[in-house]
Amino acid sequence: MKCGEFNPKKFSVASYPTQGYPPNQQSSDNQKQTKDFPVSCTVEHELRFSASSENRGTQMTLEENRRMLQAIYRTLSSVRTGIVLLILLGLASAAGTFVLQRPLTDPEQLERAYDPETLAWLDRWGLTDVFHSWWFVALMTLLALNIILASLERFPTAWRFFARPYLRPGPHFQATLPLQEEVSIRNVEMGLQAAERAFRKLGWKPQRVGKNGDCSLYIERHRVARLAPYVVHASLLLILAGGIVDGVWGWRGFVALTQNEQTDRIERRDGTEQRLPFTIRCEDAGQENYPDGTPRRWWTNLTVLEDGREVLRKEIEVNDPLVYRGLRFFQSSYGSTGTLAKLTVLATAVQTPQQTRTVELSPNQTVALDENTTVRLAAFVPDFMVVGNQIRTRSPEPNNPAIQLLVESKAGGSWKVWLFPRFPDFSHPGDAPYTFRVRDLQMGYYTGLQVAYEPGQWAVWAGCILMGIGLFMTFYMVHTRFWVVPVSDRLGRQALWVGASASKNRDEFLERFRRIMETIRAELAEQQPPAVVTNATVAARS
Amino acid sequence: MGRTTTATATTPTSNSLLVLVSLAVLLLLLTPMFGVLRSGEVFTEANLLYGALVFFGAAMVLYLGFALSGNERYVRFASGATWTGFILNTLAAGHRWYIAGRPPFSNLYEMLLSVVWTLALLTLFVERRYGVRVIGTVTMPLAVIGVLLMQLMPSEVRPLVPALQSTWLHIHVTLAMLGYAACAVSFALALMFLIQDRVRTETFLAGTSVLLAAIYLGIASRFDASGGLQVAAWDAQAAREIFIARGEPLMVILPGLGWMFFLVLAAVLVPLGLYLWAVWNREESFLRWANRAFVVGLLVQGLGLVAFVLRARGGMYASPQAEGLFPTSLSASPFLLTGMVSGIAASLLYLLLWWRREGLERMLPDTETLDRLIYRSIGIAFPLLTLMIAAGAYWANRTWGSYWSWDPKETWALITWLVYAGYLHMRITRGWRGRRAALFAIVGFAVVLFTFLGVTYLLPGLHAYA
Repeated sequence: MKCGEFNPKKFSVASYPTQGYPPNQQSSDNQKQTKDFPVSCTVEHELRFSASSENRGTQMTLEENRRMLQAIYRTLSSVRTGIVLLILLGLASAAGTFVLQRPLTDPEQLERAYDPETLAWLDRWGLTDVFHSWWFVALMTLLALNIILASLERFPTAWRFFARPYLRPGPHFQATLPLQEEVSIRNVEMGLQAAERAFRKLGWKPQRVGKNGDCSLYIERHRVARLAPYVVHASLLLILAGGIVDGVWGWRGFVALTQNEQTDRIERRDGTEQRLPFTIRCEDAGQENYPDGTPRRWWTNLTVLEDGREVLRKEIEVNDPLVYRGLRFFQSSYGSTGTLAKLTVLATAVQTPQQTRTVELSPNQTVALDENTTVRLAAFVPDFMVVGNQIRTRSPEPNNPAIQLLVESKAGGSWKVWLFPRFPDFSHPGDAPYTFRVRDLQMGYYTGLQVAYEPGQWAVWAGCILMGIGLFMTFYMVHTRFWVVPVSDRLGRQALWVGASASKNRDEFLERFRRIMETIRAELAEQQPPAVVTNATVAARS
Repeated sequence: MGRTTTATATTPTSNSLLVLVSLAVLLLLLTPMFGVLRSGEVFTEANLLYGALVFFGAAMVLYLGFALSGNERYVRFASGATWTGFILNTLAAGHRWYIAGRPPFSNLYEMLLSVVWTLALLTLFVERRYGVRVIGTVTMPLAVIGVLLMQLMPSEVRPLVPALQSTWLHIHVTLAMLGYAACAVSFALALMFLIQDRVRTETFLAGTSVLLAAIYLGIASRFDASGGLQVAAWDAQAAREIFIARGEPLMVILPGLGWMFFLVLAAVLVPLGLYLWAVWNREESFLRWANRAFVVGLLVQGLGLVAFVLRARGGMYASPQAEGLFPTSLSASPFLLTGMVSGIAASLLYLLLWWRREGLERMLPDTETLDRLIYRSIGIAFPLLTLMIAAGAYWANRTWGSYWSWDPKETWALITWLVYAGYLHMRITRGWRGRRAALFAIVGFAVVLFTFLGVTYLLPGLHAYA
C-alpha cells in the first residue's frame, strides 16, 4: 500500500488550525486532547463567584488556590493519572497474591509463614489484607474518580457527534479533510443522483441536506460508536458500584442443618448472628458417588417457611442454589454429624429364642418389646475407644460404632446393653431378657449451606453485559461519514467534492473510500459519455 | 495488503529436506502401525495424538527449514502437515469429549490438548488470512512441546467433582483459551515487530536471558538443603500426587540435581551479565562473548533436562516430610518440565534470530502492518478476557456464593486485564505506536503466562484444578 497520501501517524486533528471550525469538529478524529483542555465550567464559575465576594487582600491567595484546584482537577482527570492508577492497582493486587491474606488463610498458617515482627509490620500496612486495606480502597476510589472526571471532560464532544451530526462541511473543513476527491460532472442534480445510486449500491443510506438549489449529501454509519468508550467506562462504574453495595450491605454466612432441622439464624463470616425474616428447613440431604468412590453430587431438599407456612421448596445442589428474598443458599459441604439417625435391631427373647422381631429405634425413643419390657436407645458412640476409664470417640465417622440400649422390665430390673455392630457376638451384660443384633445403622448427616446476601450483584451482572456491548462497539464499530458537495473545480467546471472520515481502522477505510469513488465514477459514466469524465484528483495533505 | 512474499529461487538442495521429512513421517507412522493393527484399536485417542505429534513435528521441521532457507515450497508442505496434525488433534479432542461427555477442559492434560489445538488453528488462520508464514516457526515447536508433555501426564478420563459440573465452567475456560491464544499471537507479532524495527539482536539475547533466569530461578527455588531438588512424589496406581495434608503434596528429593540447576542458572546468567557489562562499558567485543556464552548456556540447559528426565523418570527417593522411600515420575513435575523445555525452545529461537536475522526480516511483514496487527489481536483478546472474567465470576457466584473473592488466580486475571487496559488507553488516547506499544504487548503476555502457569505453580488457591 502506498501511504503517501494517507499516513495515519500524521493524520491528527491536533495539527489542524482550530479557527473557523464548527464546534463539533474539534478533535473529531483523534482524541489527542489530554493536555490543554479547558477547566470545567462549574469549578471556574464557583471560583469566580467566591473571588468576587472576598476583599482584595485575599485575592492573591484565591488566585493561587484557584490555580491549585485547576492543577488538581487536571491531574485527576488526565489519562496519564489513570494509567498510573492502573499500574499501582496492579502492583497492589500482585502484592496481595504474594503475601498470605488473612481472609483466605488460617491464623496459624500465617504465624508459621512469617516471624512475629514481619507479621506485625505486614499487618500494620494492611499487607495481610490488601484488598480491604484503606489504601487499596483509596486507589479504587481515585480510579473511579478519574474515570468519572475524564469521561465528563470528553463526553460533551462525543455527545455532539452523536446528537448533532455535522451534515454539511464548511469550506475550511473541505480544505483540510485528509481524505477527499473531486469528480467532474456535467450537471449538479445528475451528479448527485449518480452518487446516491453508488452509495445505495454499496449498502449505504445517503441523506439529502439543504434545499433544492443548494443540495449536498451526507452519509454516515455507526454514529453510536462515538459513545462506545463511555459505555465501557459507565459499565465499569456500575460494576464498582455493585461491589461497593455488596461490600457495605452484603453479608455471607454459613449454617449446618441436619435432617428435619430448621432455623432462622445464620452465623455470619464476621462472627455475628444474622436473623432471617423467614425460616429454612432441611427436609433431606444426601450424597451420590461415582463408582470409584469420589463424590459426584451433593443435594439438599430445602423448604422455606413464613409464619409456619411453607412457601417454597427446592432441591439444591452444588451450582444450583435456592434463592428467596434476595438470599441465596448454596450447597457447600456434607458430612457426618457423629449421631445416629435410625437404628434397626433384631430382638430375640431369651425365653423364646425361635421368635425374633425387628425393632426400629430413634434416639430417645422408647419402644415396647412385649407387655412388660421396653427398650430405648440410650447412647451412641461412632468411633468407640476407651481412654483410661472413659469412653471416647475417635472421630465422627462410624468406624467402630457402639450402641447402648436401655432395657427396662415392669417386673423390675433394667439393663444397659452395649452392642458393637463390628463384633456381633459381643453382648454385655448377658443377663438381659432379650438379645439384640444390629441389622442396620443410619448415621445422622448434616448439610452445610453457604448463605449469601448480595444486593449489588445485579449491578455487577448488568455492568458485565454492558461492558461486553461497549467493548464490541469500541473494537468493531467504526463511525464512518461521507459528504458529497457540488463545487466548482479550479478550472471553474462543475464537480462533486467527496470527503470521508472514519473514527478508526483508517487503512481499511481507505480501501472502502476507493471502492466508493470507483462506483461513483462508474455511475457517472453510465449516464454520461465516458469522454467527459475527467480530472479526478486525490487531495494530498501532509 | 501487507503481505510480504519473498520469491526465492528454488535451490537444488531444497528438496532434500522435504524428502527427509517425508521419510521420517512415514517411518514414524509405519513402525507403530503393526502393533496398532494387531491390537485392533486404531482410532484411540493415544494413536490419534501420536499421529498429530508426528505431523506437528514434520511441520515444525519444515517451518524451521523455511525460516532458515526462505524456501517457499517448504511452507506449502508445512501447512499441509499442520492441517493433518490439526485434524488428528481435533479427532483426539472429539474422541475424548465423546467418551467423557463434556468438553476437554478440566485438568492440565485436557487443557494442553485444547491449547495445542488452538495454536494449530491460529497458525493456519494467521498464515492464510494475513500471510504471516513464519508464525509456524514459533507456534509449531510450542505445539510439539505441548503434545510431548501430554504423553507424560495422566490421561484417563476422570469424573468431575461437583463444583466443576457447570456449563459456565466450559464457557469460562473456552473464553480463557481463546483470549490467551490471542494474547500469544499479539506477543509473537510484537516480537516480529521488534525484529523489523531494527532492535539490536543482542537486546533479544538479554530478553531471552531474563526469561531463562526467571524459569531457572523458579526451578532452583526447589533446592533442598542436602543439595538435591524437591519434586512431588507420584502414586503410580492412582496416577496422582500423594497428599499428606490438604493442599500439601508429599515431596521427594532428587539427589545432586539442586546443584545441577544452580549450575544451569549460573550458565544462563552469564550471557546476561556479559551483555550488561558490554552495554555499561560500551564494549562491543563482549557482545560476541555473550552470544558464545549463550550457546554454552543452551548446552548446559540440555544437560540439565537430560539429567532431570533420567532421574525423575522413576526410582525411589527419600522425602523430607516422611520416613522411607517414595516413587516419583515425570508426570509429577509438569511445571518443571514445561519450564525447562520452553527455556530450550526460547534459546533455540534466539539462535535462529542470531544466525538468520536478515532472512527473517525479508520474510516478515513491514512494521506498520505488524503494529496494526498487534492492536487487532489485542482488540480480540481484551473483550475475550473481559468476558472470561465475567463468566468466571458468574460461575463462582453460583458455586461458592461470591463473584469475587480475590484468590490469586482471579487477582492475576484482573492484573492481566489492567495491563491490556493500560495498553489500549496508551494507544487510543495517547497515540502510542511502534516500539513502546510492542513492548507493552510483550509485558502483557508475560503477565498472561504468569497468570496461566506461574500462579498455579507458585500461588495455590481456589483454582486448584486448572
